[in-house]
Amino acid sequence: MEFEITYSAEQEKFREEVKEWLEHNVPAGIEHPADSTDLTLDQYHKRRELGYKLGEKGWLWPTAPQEYGGGGLDVEHSIVIEEEIDKIGLSLPPYYDSGGRLGGNSILVWGNEEQKKEFLPKIFKGEIRTWQLLSEPEAGSDLANVKTTAVRDGDDYILNGQKVWVGSAFGAEYMWTITCTDPEGERHKNLGWFMVPGDAEGISITPMSLLSSAGESGAGSGVKNIVFFDNVRVPAKNLIGGENNGWQVATTHLELEHGTGGRIARNWIVDRIFDHCKETRFDGQPISSERFTQDKLIDIYIDAEIGRLFQLRNYWMRHTGASFTYEGPQASYFRKTSGLRIATNILEILGPHALTNDEEIAVEEGHIEAHQRAAIIALHPGGTTDIQKVIMARRIGIGRENKEKAGALK
Amino acid sequence: MDLALTEEQEMIKNAAREFVEQEFPKELLLEIDENRYPCNTESWGKLIDTGLLATLIPSEYGGEGGSFTNAGIVFEELGRGPVPGPHLSSFALSVNILLKMGSETQKQQHLKAIADGSEVVVPAISDSEYGWSTKHVSAHIETTETGLKLNTNKSFVIDGLSATHFIVAAKDDEGTIGFYIIAADSEGIETRELTGFAWHMTEVKFVDVAILEGSKLENCSWQEFEKSLLVSSALLSSYQVGGCQFVYELSVDYSRTRVQFGTPIGRFQRVQDHIINLVNSLDGARWTTNEALWKIDSGKEFEDSCHLAKAVASQAYLDCCTYGHEVHAGIGSLNEYGLTLHTTASRSLFHYLGDPRYHKEKLAAVLGL
Repeated sequence: MEFEITYSAEQEKFREEVKEWLEHNVPAGIEHPADSTDLTLDQYHKRRELGYKLGEKGWLWPTAPQEYGGGGLDVEHSIVIEEEIDKIGLSLPPYYDSGGRLGGNSILVWGNEEQKKEFLPKIFKGEIRTWQLLSEPEAGSDLANVKTTAVRDGDDYILNGQKVWVGSAFGAEYMWTITCTDPEGERHKNLGWFMVPGDAEGISITPMSLLSSAGESGAGSGVKNIVFFDNVRVPAKNLIGGENNGWQVATTHLELEHGTGGRIARNWIVDRIFDHCKETRFDGQPISSERFTQDKLIDIYIDAEIGRLFQLRNYWMRHTGASFTYEGPQASYFRKTSGLRIATNILEILGPHALTNDEEIAVEEGHIEAHQRAAIIALHPGGTTDIQKVIMARRIGIGRENKEKAGALK
Repeated sequence: MDLALTEEQEMIKNAAREFVEQEFPKELLLEIDENRYPCNTESWGKLIDTGLLATLIPSEYGGEGGSFTNAGIVFEELGRGPVPGPHLSSFALSVNILLKMGSETQKQQHLKAIADGSEVVVPAISDSEYGWSTKHVSAHIETTETGLKLNTNKSFVIDGLSATHFIVAAKDDEGTIGFYIIAADSEGIETRELTGFAWHMTEVKFVDVAILEGSKLENCSWQEFEKSLLVSSALLSSYQVGGCQFVYELSVDYSRTRVQFGTPIGRFQRVQDHIINLVNSLDGARWTTNEALWKIDSGKEFEDSCHLAKAVASQAYLDCCTYGHEVHAGIGSLNEYGLTLHTTASRSLFHYLGDPRYHKEKLAAVLGL
């Protein structure tokens, strides 16, 4: 066993290249704000521009196949890029792009050649940013119950319905959307996925007022929206995976969304609370030396370490092509539940200091306050904690001999 | 990065699993549990003969000269039983103590004898106020007219009844703690089994026991002892992971076969919750332990990871057994079913080589809190 990523001389040379490139191309002031709703339009544009430049280098989606505009790099090089991006407080892509991450892989698995050529280069080169549109008012955990209809009309489909918890601030060029293609059809055999152009006529977007809109791993989304489709016309060639085959496509999408990809990024909030407690003094002593605080910090540390190892394991499994069973939803479940435990422990350590982003007295420039809210909200996107447990149970085969298989990935 | 076992390690694992399944069937484990003499079985002798237990002992002292990861694989498989016997005491902690503190003569004498099974060396560290810190060593070796004498009660000594020798921690006249290897059949030693829920625990009384010339380990210091304790605790963590894994498999199996209300009980989400908690605890223990063993083997700073692993694995084994009881309900409490073997082991091993509280305090120090 080898837990450390060891780097060859060639990789170290590549790291220098990446570092130098990032120094020249990452503009100042685009790192994540404490609260992602504070991201400005100017920052967003700069991030998109950075994404486009990364895309040209093949570093935006480093391991995506080259023939479709990805970097075509091996894991060894991809890791170096991810690490260097993480060091400057960004992630890949450097903006919210849920549809690119989850839709991109789904198109790779389920799209036809024409569709792959049409959509993937745009995604992998950072020319478009894509939202994912799944939940509806009546279809949350029960995703297969979506009511947004897609009805064939000549060379097009006409979409009508309402999607919730969508996207981010500042819009998207495409919307990766699951719809009902046969309202009379059998459950799980009546769905279809579309790449909907964001500027199609009949789409309207209303921001939601929420406790927090953070929560998913990676870049914070800033804002969540309600999206209405009112007779939106979408070309039939944008239907991915075929009519009524949407549930199959969803297994790939959801597999990734449920944490199967793994991560190797650090947990910044843990670093922040440790630093804060070591540097802050009360009665002449660092608060980290106080027994109760120390106990809480160690509990935080243990949660963070187990979470790190689950993510590392999944990352390794994903990149060695090992076959997954319950590991994806396990990592997701643990990230969500331990995230809330960590927030509660932080609240116990800091008291009301954790609850304000007041300019004068906020702890760690407001990152702690934002985390208090985000940790609660993070329990539910991408499958609630209860849904993760349901999937784990099926994959393990609790109470059943025939175990459910994990969704196909590429 | 490669989190898979090597081919050689897979072979060790398979050999160990096959051996444990064949030589330590549930019937034998239950019998040992009743009679409490694990070394008095043919299977124990065969286990010694496989050389698996001597993984850590260097080849010049009759062992396999293997890595901590390899030893961890063996202990994990033993933990599945759970196979009792003086493996964690003699083959983990005592071996590490001797390697770090023994003179060449002491190593030649005792490591070889441990490897071939002719000696069982059991550490007896804590006095009656139980713990693994210097403050828990109050024993004092007195200089008398007839030589050095030891009077003390060492409590909660795991595997005390199997010992041919003890490694005893005691202070000298200056108050410095030393470690002494003493034959268990010396005059004045009385070993008493602790009854009840305690797992292979004894109290060892030392009354005017003569400390012979050459019995003090040559290079002893509390720091070296703590290092021995720490690396041994990673192997104990592996044993606990093996226990968790077995209880997990037992519980999943039961969830499929036990039918109530006309359906396998695993179809009920309340039951599923217990098994999901179980597998999450198991995997947390497994990966923290594996990383700790890897760090020891690869010459990294391993203190943080070893403390983390033992804190997590002790808690996990205890919790996994409790979740196992929730899944099995009444059936799990039948001694003949086998779950209680783990439940019993999990409680005693929670404290052995430091409980989570001990390791969390140490971890806080390592992290500079």
